[in-house]
Amino acid sequence: MGFLTVLKKIKQKEKEMRILILGLDNAGKTTILKRFNGEAIDTISPTLGFNIKTLEHKNFKLNMWDVGGQKSLRSYWRNYFECTDGLIWVVDSADKRRLDDCKKELDSLLLEERLGGATLLIFANKQDLPGACDIKQLKEILELDKIKTHHWKIVQCSAVTGENLLEGIDWLIGDIAARIFTLD
Amino acid sequence: MSVLRENHENIPKALPQAANRKEITPEDVLRLSKITDRYLCDPDANIYEIDFTRFKIRDLESGAILFEIAKPVNIDSTAEINCENDESIDPNSGRFVRYQFTPQFLKLKTVGATVEFTVGSHPVNKFRMIERHFFRDKQLKTFDFEFGFCIPYSRNTCEHIYEFPTLPQELVNEMIANPFETRSDSFYFVDDILIMHNKADYAYNGGVQT
Repeated sequence: MGFLTVLKKIKQKEKEMRILILGLDNAGKTTILKRFNGEAIDTISPTLGFNIKTLEHKNFKLNMWDVGGQKSLRSYWRNYFECTDGLIWVVDSADKRRLDDCKKELDSLLLEERLGGATLLIFANKQDLPGACDIKQLKEILELDKIKTHHWKIVQCSAVTGENLLEGIDWLIGDIAARIFTLD
Repeated sequence: MSVLRENHENIPKALPQAANRKEITPEDVLRLSKITDRYLCDPDANIYEIDFTRFKIRDLESGAILFEIAKPVNIDSTAEINCENDESIDPNSGRFVRYQFTPQFLKLKTVGATVEFTVGSHPVNKFRMIERHFFRDKQLKTFDFEFGFCIPYSRNTCEHIYEFPTLPQELVNEMIANPFETRSDSFYFVDDILIMHNKADYAYNGGVQT
């Protein structure tokens, strides 16, 4: 029995998934997390550490970690890579000025060995704002089609209206489940 | 570093040595079959200056906040959230919270329990919480969760959203009839060593005529 088989069995027993939510500051990571969990989103301030939610969704136990995206905090992101099954990369689609910065940070994450096995969901957030880039534009600017190392998908969403949050996360969970939980 | 809390000294002090006694490990507290009769560590075992600043409980079905208590910002650490005992010299004040709920609380289906905490000048590794709930000597629930790494000077939150355990009606009646005999121990470990121990007790007879 190989290591991967053992790992699959352990995880299957609890059907537990660890999902890491990252992105530049002000991308909307915490708002997405709160909105997804039915919490008020009117008093959100910059995350100066992490926000964790553990919940049951579709018979899986999800551990969702949202880590602050301020520049001074990004060097700590690596402390949260271990055992990550899914990475949600949140983009402020209306902040065109920082899309280069956004690409740079995403590119360096994708080189991380410890995130090697993670499914990648890119949330093109803030679609409710005028002038937000659409998926086609973001694919080009972030050069997403070059990503061959991870299963990935980009979903346009709005944490404020809730548009597509469930759809995106359900895709992520489905992809992870297909990879790590063997079918009985 | 402007984003981080600013009311701190810039040079982290060396961590004080842990007191010279047997350390309590996660395995020790997972073995306990009832509530402890004392605190298993001193308040000064918290060498990482981990400070709980908010507790919140909400009902996922209605969205209602059922309980929320927050520590005012920039308050001196001797004035803790608990007002049960006004003697400020009591070293255990702030380690105990008393919850008073109505019987309705025990009928909830899905509950979210949030804690918020701040961390001092040192990075914290392998931060783990084990919380054990008992009614008398009967175990109701055990939480065991590893936060892992915590960033120096960070403010963090963790919400556990869970299905309320279905309890037999007889037990529910007993819990309502016997306020504060439902109790919990919360143990916090860093690198598998106990650094904080908080207690709480619970009444579910709010609004009930006695």
